[in-house]
Amino acid sequence: MKRKIAVAPCSGIGKSLGAAAREAAFILAEDLRPDKTKMVALSLLVMGDGPAKLEVAGGEAVAIDGCKLECAAKVLACSGAAKVHKIAVFDVLRRHRGLKPEGVCDLNEDGSKLARAAAEEAAGIVDGIDGEDGHA
Amino acid sequence: MPDLPRKKVGLIACSGEERAEGTVTRRAVRQVLEKLRPDDTVTLCLPLFLAGGEGERAFARRYPTIAVDGCDERCAARATERYSARPAASIVVTEIAKESGSPDIGTARRLNGSGLRLADTAAARIAGETDRLLQRPRRRITEPAAAAGGCSCGSGLPQGTLRISGSDVRVAGLPIIFAQARERGLEPNAGTAAVLLETVGIYNEVPADRKQAWTDALIQGYAGFLEEKG
Repeated sequence: MKRKIAVAPCSGIGKSLGAAAREAAFILAEDLRPDKTKMVALSLLVMGDGPAKLEVAGGEAVAIDGCKLECAAKVLACSGAAKVHKIAVFDVLRRHRGLKPEGVCDLNEDGSKLARAAAEEAAGIVDGIDGEDGHA
Repeated sequence: MPDLPRKKVGLIACSGEERAEGTVTRRAVRQVLEKLRPDDTVTLCLPLFLAGGEGERAFARRYPTIAVDGCDERCAARATERYSARPAASIVVTEIAKESGSPDIGTARRLNGSGLRLADTAAARIAGETDRLLQRPRRRITEPAAAAGGCSCGSGLPQGTLRISGSDVRVAGLPIIFAQARERGLEPNAGTAAVLLETVGIYNEVPADRKQAWTDALIQGYAGFLEEKG
């Protein structure tokens, strides 16, 4: 049985883009590609938690980041991911200029739409990885 | 004009995506930042500790922090201690849930009513710890909502750039610090530079061996700021 692709959103708590990144990861792992992906808690990876690192090490992973600091991508790379595919929510927002995401704990409707758009882009990446069959 | 107080408490939520309690930590911390203690708190970003956020590490080394964890793995508390300094207080949501009898709080994606109430309880606990750490009298926890709370990654504190020894360095809070100095009528001189350096040092790591370079850059940057503002 194939290992699921690890997905980690940034834990951004200061901006709605961080919240959208988190919501996008839930949409991807629970709604769009539940059979192919698995959410990994960034906090566990920060602490080098063994089981969490096993989910990541040596495989391809998807980072969904809210800002340019790219915490999720960096932490996945530090955790041994063979390749980190990046989804930058601020870039997704540029492609959906009409959206005005607001809120952190409770995203507004535009924030939810942005999360959905980011999740759909991430799903495309997951399908690409799956298509290559390169994931151990 | 936003104000930079002399001392703030840093809040670090684990935000754990695997458990509903991780979502409770986020909600509770935001509540404290936005409504309960907006003037006394900032957030520190947990993954930035590992991803190279020197600003977060510096802040947590010098100022009190409260780690807010979803479970007894205590990732936020341990990461803060490992990468910076031991948190002044540690709050674990599962312990609060046990005390308040909240067995089902929903999912990490969506908290239910019990989960939302648990977040309220955790927020009140964080606000109480903030008052204790700042040696302030305990206040009512229901206060009017304020502007969005500050975030050390820059969403709450605007960043500015200083040219230090030939390199551009991002400095958290710089525009506000300069604006406050201007409001106080401070001239760009050595005395002002010392004040600016002290305030900048609250939010940024100023290496001990580079204080003079920072001081020079601050005077120059502040002079430019005054000129720009007329």
